[in-house]
Parts: sequence; structure tokens; C-alpha cells
Amino acid sequence: MNNWVIETKGLSKLYRGRYAVSNLNLKIKKGDIYGFLGPNGAGKTTTIRMLLGLIKPSKGSVHIFGQPLEKERLSILRKVGSLVEYPSYYGHLSAIDNLEAIRRIIDAPSAKIDEVLNIVGLSKDARRPVKGFSLGMKQRLGIASALLGNPELLILDEPTNGLDPSGIQEIRELIKQMPKQHGITVLLSSHLLSEIELTAGTVGIIRHGELVFQDTIERLHRQAHEQGTLSLVVSEPEQAVAVLQEQGLGVSLMNNVILLKHIPDAAIAQAVKRLVERNHAVYRIEEKRQSLEQLFLQIVGEGGRP
Amino acid sequence: MMLKAFSSDLLKIRGKGLWFLIALGPIGLVAMQALNFGLRYDYLSQRHAGRMWEALLGNMLMFVPIALYLGVTLVSSLLANVEHSTNAWKQLLALPISRGAVFCAKFALCVLLLAVSCCLLAIGTVVLGLSLKFGMDIPFMAILKLSFLPFIAALPALALLLWLSLTVKNQALPVTFGIMSAIVSVYSVNLSEWFPLNWPLFGYTGPRQELFVGAGFLCGAVILLFGAVHFNKKDVN
Repeated sequence: MNNWVIETKGLSKLYRGRYAVSNLNLKIKKGDIYGFLGPNGAGKTTTIRMLLGLIKPSKGSVHIFGQPLEKERLSILRKVGSLVEYPSYYGHLSAIDNLEAIRRIIDAPSAKIDEVLNIVGLSKDARRPVKGFSLGMKQRLGIASALLGNPELLILDEPTNGLDPSGIQEIRELIKQMPKQHGITVLLSSHLLSEIELTAGTVGIIRHGELVFQDTIERLHRQAHEQGTLSLVVSEPEQAVAVLQEQGLGVSLMNNVILLKHIPDAAIAQAVKRLVERNHAVYRIEEKRQSLEQLFLQIVGEGGRP
Repeated sequence: MMLKAFSSDLLKIRGKGLWFLIALGPIGLVAMQALNFGLRYDYLSQRHAGRMWEALLGNMLMFVPIALYLGVTLVSSLLANVEHSTNAWKQLLALPISRGAVFCAKFALCVLLLAVSCCLLAIGTVVLGLSLKFGMDIPFMAILKLSFLPFIAALPALALLLWLSLTVKNQALPVTFGIMSAIVSVYSVNLSEWFPLNWPLFGYTGPRQELFVGAGFLCGAVILLFGAVHFNKKDVN
């Protein structure tokens, strides 16, 4: 049909008269790490539950591997590994038995258990009851369970929630190597931009159940760059403003500092040249870039579509 | 597919006290009768001279339904709690397995566990009778009937309580409901024999026992079906 691993069309979920997710059109391409970003309660987990068939959409459709989820749920899930929100585990069983309980259902070879324990670095603690594990270890066990069925698509919902910095680092490295080493497409949700920024190739930002941004991480960077401002400190600033306005530039004056919206390099050079020609002393030119974090907050906070 | 879920469930109940509970029920019933006959041996052996096996089964019968209801309640709730306690549903149901298979596997496991209880009850009864020197003409058929027919007649309760336990996260509700049934079943003997809680009792005694057993089997199957259909549709949060 097409080459999207996940494609949703108009996906919506109504909870008690309120749309938790509304009209979501996700497009996730093969081999990508897709960062699904949004503040808490924006609808990330609801979306992921719909992608896994745990809850039924009120409207819209989900296609995974080009097949409709509603009809082909089992054959799709055979190629999907998932970790939804907090890790699910059977505390009284050891890590090996936890994986065995899943292995018996998905019919994976026994050797796979050792393999995934190795990948997530739990081989040493494999025989201890999981209830004694730290949160980070439980989270890693969750990822091991997700990898057990040799998935082509990994859906991880907030996999670094509640982990300490070194745990976050470990999981991040683990996720990054998935597409490279195993050819797995990853959907990764988080409420932290920093998390997504360092791992994802494509970003989808969700706010109040609506997708407000979906593009590559480079595009997001460029957008942040374009929304930056340039500040000029010159002698006789009032006259300088007039000079710049003559050239058709949008400028404003604040505390004797001239502020310019982001303009191309050539235009800046031209503007400086004019100022020097009119005998203005140019003391400094500073570029104030908008950080990704600010752009993200702007997108999810004010709701303005960039 | 159901077999896979079943074997996975067998693994999951390890160390959860289910097997202990399964043994405790019949051993408790037998121990109670050991006490009863041990303390009043002379009186009972005079009163039921020559019919001691029958007397034992008659005394036992009084407590089989209540033990069954308690067993059904605790087994289904403990089994459901394996998944509820760490909200493992979202992991289990995102695996490539149909929800119907998951539901039916849990039901099958309950039936297996309780059937083991029934076997233990039959064995325990024989051992008790022999050690009390009731003679070698053991009424095997009656003992098997006493051990298994009430269980079949109690299948609707199992299907209903399992569905409740699996659906409602707060286990107080199904457990309260189950214990209420167990208590009411003691007093409901005076009501119509068709009152559902009476089926296990009349599935053993009474002239038309096959009707009660049949009704239990059918009704259990119908409730199981409805439970599975609902479980299949519900959202997993």
C-alpha cells in the first residue's frame, strides 16, 4: 500500500464527552525513531493504547505495516513489541520466568530469553524475583519483554520515566541502536524534549489530543533558528532605526538595543554596510537563538501552530 | 492458542499460594469430619450401624457447597490478582493472542485447580473412612459423585466470579460477592431447589440430580461465553 510502518487517519478517542485524542494523523516511516512528544495528559498513552488495540478508537483508523489494525490485530501484534507506561511484571517471578511467561504465548525460541537479557544487561540478576528490582531494572526487563518476539516495530511509552540520569542514558543508548543493529522501527513517547531530541529522527508533538507538529528533528531545529532575533547595539540608535526601516526591515528599539527578526545573512550584511556608511558605530551584533525547549513550550503552551 | 495462555498462566501462579489453597480446602473438609467422627465415634456408630460410609458422606455433604463457593471465590480472585497487581493486562493483551483465549485459559485453569481439589476430597474421604475402619466395601461411585457433581453444578458461580474478578480491579467486590454466596448457600436450602445457590447440593442429593448438574454445566457455559464476549470488547486502561 505505502511505506509507512504506522499510519493513522483521523484517529480519535472520546472519553466522557471529551476528546482525549482527536483527529490524529500519524505517519511513521520504516527504520526511523519517531519521537512522540507532549506534556502529561496530552493523549500520548491513549494514542499508544489505540495503536496496540488495547482500547478501541471512537473514530478513525490505524494501519500498521499497511494492514488495518482492527482486522489484522493478531498478525500485526506478532511483529510489535511494546512497553506501555509503567513496566508490567510479575513480581513474585524471576526475570527469566517473567520472560518465559511471555515466551510461552508468543512461541519464541527459548534461547531468545538469554539473548534479550543480555541486550538489556540483566543477565546477572536474571534469577532474582523481580519485585526486588530497581525501577530502572524493571524498565529494562520491560524492554527485554518487548524485544522477545523479534519485533519489527517497537512501541515504547515513556521508557525513561522515573529513571536516574545514568538509567536514562543507558536506555537511550539501547533505543538508539535498535534501528541500526536490528532494523527495528521505534515509536518513543516522552514528555521531555531533551529525551526525544537526542534519539529521534522525526518528531510528532501532541497537545490536548491534537497533533500540532510532525516533521524531522532538523526541521524543528531550523524552526527554532528562524524564530530567533538579532540585536544590534549602535551609536545614535534612533537614527539607525530609521536607516534600517528605509530598507524595509522590521525593527524595534528596546533600551537602546535594536531588535531585528531573523533575516538572511545577505540582508544583515547589507544593513550593517548601510549603517557604517551613515557613520554609525556598530558596537555589537548578537544573535539570540530560540532554544528547542522554548519552541516546544511555545508550541504546546500557546498552541500556536509554527 | 488457549493452550499457550494456559501454560503461561500455570507458570504465573507459582508461589502465589493457589496450590496451597487448593490442598487446604479438601484437607479442611476431611479434617472436620475426622474430628466429628473422632469425637462422637460411639454415638455415630450406634446410630448409623452398618451405614457408616453413608453417614460420612451425608455429614460431608453439608459443607461441600460452602467450601465450593469459597474455593471458587478465592481461586478466581487470586488468579485475577496475578494480572491486576502490577497492571500486567496492558502487556498481556498487547501480545499476539486473542482475548477470548486469555479469558478461557483462565477459566480452564480455575477448573483444573478446583478439579484437583475435588480429587483430593475423594481421596481424603476414602482415607478417612478406611482409617475409621468403616470397612472395605467402599462406595466409590457415591464418593466420586459427592466430590465432582456439586462442582459441576457450581460452574455458573465460577464463570460469574471469574468474569467479575477479571473485570473489576478492586477485588473487594468479587470477594464480598463470593463470600455472601457461600454464606447464603447455607441458609438457602429452604428456598426452592431451583435457587441457583442450591444446585450444588441438589446435584448430589435429590431425585433429579442430573437436572441440576446439567443446568450448572449449561448455565456455566452461557455465562462463560458472555464473559468472554465482554472481556473481548472492553478497553484496557
